[in-house]
Amino acid sequence: MRQRSLLILTSVLATGALTLSACGSRSDDDKKSSDGGGNSAGTSSTTVVIGVDAPLTGANSATGLGIQYGAQIAVDDANTKKLVPGVTFKIKALDDKAQPATGQQNATALVAESDVIAAVGPLNSGVAQSMQQVFDSAKMVEISPSNTNPALTQGKDWATGTKTRPFKSYFRTATTDANQGNFAADYAAKTLNKKNAFVVDDKQTYGAGLAGIFKGKFQSLGGKIAGTDHVNTGDSDFSTLVTKIKNSGADILYYGGQYDESELITKQLKAAGVHIPLMGGDGMYSDTYIKTAGAAAEGDLVTSVGVPVDTLPAAKTFIDTYKAKGYPGDYGTYGGYSYDATTAIINGVKAVMDANGGKLPSDARAKLIDAVQKTDFDGIAGHVSFDEFGDTTNKQLTVYQVKSGKWVAVKTGEYTG
Amino acid sequence: MTDIPLATAEAAVAGTDTGRRAAPYLPMPRTAARAATLAGAVISIASTFMSWTYTTDFPGDLTVSGYPGGLQIMTLIAAILTGVVALGAFGTPGLRWLNPSRSPNSVLLLALATLGTTWYTVIDIAAKLGGFANLDPGGFVAFIGALVLFAGALGLPIDRRPQEPAGAEYYELGRFEKYAAVVRTYVWLREARLHHSDLRVADARKLNPWLQRLVIVVVYALGLKILTFGLATDYSDIFIGYLIVVAVGFWGLGASGLLKQFQQLTHRNRRFSATVGVIAAIAYPFVQNNEHWANLGVSVLIVGTVALGLNIVVGLTGLLDLGYVAFLGVGAYAAALVSGSQFSIWSGVQFPFWAAAITGMVAACVFGVLIGAPTLRLRGDYLAIVTLGFGEIFRIVVRNLDGVSGPKITNGPNGIAQIPDLSVFGYNLGDNHSMGSFTLGRFANYYLLMLLITVIVVLVFTRAADSRIGRSWIAIREDETAATAMGINGFRVKLVAFALGASLAGLAGTVFAHVTNSVVPDPYQFSGPVPPNSAFLLAAVVLGGMGTVSGPILGAALLYVIPEKLDFLSKYELFAFGLALVLIMRFRPEGIIPNRRRQLEFHEDEELAPGNRPMGDDTVPAATAGA
Amino acid sequence: MHTLPQQLANGLFIGSMYGLIAIGYTMVYGIVQLINFAHGEIYMTGAFGALAVYTNLPDGMSIWAALPLMLAGGAIVAVLIAVGAERLAYRPLRNAPRLAPLITAIGLSLALQQAVFLWYPHATAGKHFPQLPGDGFDIGSVSVAPGDIFLVVAAVVCMSALATFVRTSRTGRAMQATAQDPDTAQLMGIDTNRIIVIAFAIGGLFAAVAGLASGLKYGQIKYDMGFQAGLKAFTAAVLGGIGNIYGAMLGGVVLGIAESCASAYISNIPGMQQLGGEGWKNVWAFVLLIIVLLLRPQGLLGERVADRA
Repeated sequence: MRQRSLLILTSVLATGALTLSACGSRSDDDKKSSDGGGNSAGTSSTTVVIGVDAPLTGANSATGLGIQYGAQIAVDDANTKKLVPGVTFKIKALDDKAQPATGQQNATALVAESDVIAAVGPLNSGVAQSMQQVFDSAKMVEISPSNTNPALTQGKDWATGTKTRPFKSYFRTATTDANQGNFAADYAAKTLNKKNAFVVDDKQTYGAGLAGIFKGKFQSLGGKIAGTDHVNTGDSDFSTLVTKIKNSGADILYYGGQYDESELITKQLKAAGVHIPLMGGDGMYSDTYIKTAGAAAEGDLVTSVGVPVDTLPAAKTFIDTYKAKGYPGDYGTYGGYSYDATTAIINGVKAVMDANGGKLPSDARAKLIDAVQKTDFDGIAGHVSFDEFGDTTNKQLTVYQVKSGKWVAVKTGEYTG
Repeated sequence: MTDIPLATAEAAVAGTDTGRRAAPYLPMPRTAARAATLAGAVISIASTFMSWTYTTDFPGDLTVSGYPGGLQIMTLIAAILTGVVALGAFGTPGLRWLNPSRSPNSVLLLALATLGTTWYTVIDIAAKLGGFANLDPGGFVAFIGALVLFAGALGLPIDRRPQEPAGAEYYELGRFEKYAAVVRTYVWLREARLHHSDLRVADARKLNPWLQRLVIVVVYALGLKILTFGLATDYSDIFIGYLIVVAVGFWGLGASGLLKQFQQLTHRNRRFSATVGVIAAIAYPFVQNNEHWANLGVSVLIVGTVALGLNIVVGLTGLLDLGYVAFLGVGAYAAALVSGSQFSIWSGVQFPFWAAAITGMVAACVFGVLIGAPTLRLRGDYLAIVTLGFGEIFRIVVRNLDGVSGPKITNGPNGIAQIPDLSVFGYNLGDNHSMGSFTLGRFANYYLLMLLITVIVVLVFTRAADSRIGRSWIAIREDETAATAMGINGFRVKLVAFALGASLAGLAGTVFAHVTNSVVPDPYQFSGPVPPNSAFLLAAVVLGGMGTVSGPILGAALLYVIPEKLDFLSKYELFAFGLALVLIMRFRPEGIIPNRRRQLEFHEDEELAPGNRPMGDDTVPAATAGA
Repeated sequence: MHTLPQQLANGLFIGSMYGLIAIGYTMVYGIVQLINFAHGEIYMTGAFGALAVYTNLPDGMSIWAALPLMLAGGAIVAVLIAVGAERLAYRPLRNAPRLAPLITAIGLSLALQQAVFLWYPHATAGKHFPQLPGDGFDIGSVSVAPGDIFLVVAAVVCMSALATFVRTSRTGRAMQATAQDPDTAQLMGIDTNRIIVIAFAIGGLFAAVAGLASGLKYGQIKYDMGFQAGLKAFTAAVLGGIGNIYGAMLGGVVLGIAESCASAYISNIPGMQQLGGEGWKNVWAFVLLIIVLLLRPQGLLGERVADRA
């Protein structure tokens, strides 16, 4: 008696649980159809989702949020302007916490959702390495607004000139370290007439790459390298380094890395009586740098990609919108590239739909790769189109210098070999 | 800690009361309490078939009348469970087995689960949509139903601690003992404590052996279903409701004695239940046929396996290793170097998987010995700081070995990218494979491979723990001086534990490298936003239960999945980890699944009645956690 | 080698800071045999406490006038946290297995760091910290900044005050007694709980001084500054002989000088060109720790004691 009732009840419970959990999935489908119905009367409206992957929490979150909301503004613009008739774009932002494994999980999550058509991100090159393969297997476009490691698009032997593109689905709207480092070396050697450079980097993908390229170019322009060194991120005492620089007789210090360390280095350098400018890449182009370093920052230089934003009307609108909406994060560094990357995807979707009689084809993701490859429009950070490696053809760079406590553009140009 | 030895023997003898009393929290007639309980359950069940709110804005769409959805399912399941367990407690023929201990405590706890999830839902609707005006009548019915249910359960004769003797003194209150109000509250709290762990339950081992096995299979299948259901919830709101039901409900089932009976069954059919557990884990990618969840599954298995390796060092041998993630890194880098990636310095070399796995293990083992040999001779505290230093140094060294600021080995900060997928016996793990109506994607393949490795590590762990050397580890942990006096070579035994732990991490690292396609220096740090990092691994071991098999795996799974599902909490994740470590060490140092010996050790100066042992034991198979 | 005096001075400055923090480790360890991993974070909270005071002072107040207030603010925060940790987290575990308080300490360290990261206003990146006015000046071939002077003076003052306290005061002698044998000390009527609290408080106070000095020297403090500083300071405590307050300061200075010399000169050794520089200095500090543990596990000034743990 007891055993039989046990048997019956376990099976009832088991089937009950199974049926109930099957019910659990219905609510979502209902919701989707009601969403679509309410949107536009008459014409069938489809929702297309663009994934965003960036660090939204943690130490890099300010920049990561800039990427998220840059993409958000692009999508809002496309929806209000009805750039692609019959399509409502949405953003699905995932947080990779600047960790490769998390980035990869986000990539699989985006790939697994059928209404996600393409992705913008990530911020860090190290994270991109783990995501590229996932997106490429799914034939899904990934456009990074900020990855600068040349190997991501040009293969491992890019430095020796044999460039091969590892992933057809990966593009970027940011320019590579190669352009920026060379441009900086050019400016230091030719415009500033510096002869003797001390090169320091932070042993991160971005910083080490940039410093290596600067060093090579500076030497080839006839400059001397007074010394090199590498710091650890998170350190705050650079007195030993400063002593070395002081005794090396360098007339410029090039730093590859972020402002967190360089603001301390420039301060300690000048406190020790070494009044040479510190030059860096766009990772240092931030108001925090000037605020922390104070007077010591005066005369320091950075290179940054694109032309100064205040010279472009489209960029001004973007910044105004960003501020007006009160979005968190820092739009300055990569928000514009994120906007352009998202717009490139939106334009690509339009091209794919136009080729298919105004409807989204079933293999839209794969077709989008070709469409994005043919991208050609004027974005808010300059002209947007991609070369055969998926790199941006926009090689505009600007040198900024700290003058009376402000970043002032001193030279805008294009790096040409 | 200090060598102020508190008389442990007297303390153990002093508090051996097994007294218990049955008294309701809310005094009311017995029939009224029973009726209220059952009525509350019925109202709650009925409410889930009504509409709770009128807009679809709330996650899960609770507007549909006729069948439950979203959070309503949670209320429904919890209410049904409460109802039937209550019937069992009241002695209804045919349902009595559902509450073997006949204790109303399980009813109370399950009612609490119902109340928790229902009220959470209702309040969440009000908070999200702005006011209780957004509730449909169904919402109010549910609200009242859960309240009636809980009130009824409070009126049942709950098994509680005996009354405190009059005039008892409470030294632990320190200077607060002067205040009568404080003492009264304290006494009230002490008397309010539930006490059901030593209730007698019928021996489940008397069942027909085949039925025993059937029960095991059904329970594992249910466990898998519950797990996949939780993973598939797509809103954090629903997941919170789910967590309330699962956590409090589990506690309630423990009070009913069902868990104890199930434990008896798995104990008796140890091999069978382990096999079923593994099968349930294998079934996971088939049941949850979604690459993202398979990816999550691999990650959980990897951190769980690494945590299990750490458990040999921390849990069995009592050595604190704070740089354990570095050994994972060593394994990952070693595997990446021989993977055939074009970024490796030996780009032509591509080892088959078994050879790569051995390479990773050996490399990690070598580093384990290099770090362990100088420090294990010293006092244990030094090991903690040396391993912490090693964990930091590892990342720095790897970053510098790029040919620019060090020998060219690891490709520096760029790491080793484009690691090709593994191929095992011609089965390429990177491709999709169709099996009947199922398609196993890349991550499902890796999940299965990692599961194999987890099983191996579990076997190594249990075999080692039961062996001569395992007993020496425990002896060393308990009292190194005494163990050495008994002829155990402390240094050698500790070194074996340390090296074995390192090798197991290295083994997991080889898979980790291939799953993520690239290895870079950054993830291998002491504390970081995502696993694996040493603090996470330590937290997993401590939360799950030191010295047990299933503890660290369960701990890793919980610590991984909960932040994943509750994404609004991810900002506070590390803070919560830190706080959790402090609180666990203070209040439940033996973890969720306690090791019997360990628990006695932690509570040696508290009362611990012979039968007073919470559920769980080191012999519980790992399946429900690993699946 | 004409940079040697400067590099030694660099090592001395950073080493004094390690030493100040190491005092906290060594005192607590000497008395309760507990590695208070959270001590690095107490140093960090001391710095943030000082900054919080500074930001709430009226504008235009001279830094010299603000300095005592900042020190008081930092000290109150650091001492409260140190003593609170002892009272609420460590004391209940005093008879638990050795692993329990270590894990608690790790947890506290994480929680404190994250609490500042999450709830101190805008602390997710480095925070600007006021600096002492005036330019650096040269003593011989060594250039020194005002922040360095403050650091060294603070270290010397703190050390001598502590030495006098421990040697001459009643409480100081009670501390020595408790460190030697807590049971007997208790039997002799010493309130060991009070002694332990005092050890934590002194550690917190010194950590706050170090935090303030660090802010003044670098002009920036950050939520994660405690982790590495704590690791280094513990290394310093072990180097000098854990449990010995003079050893802690000596170990700090030795470690600082070793680091700065490793960074400056190792690359001059033939065959090791690539292994010098800033990037490797932490590695060399670690190697030094391992070597000391191998050759002289009781540390530079420590006496060999029976294993009491």
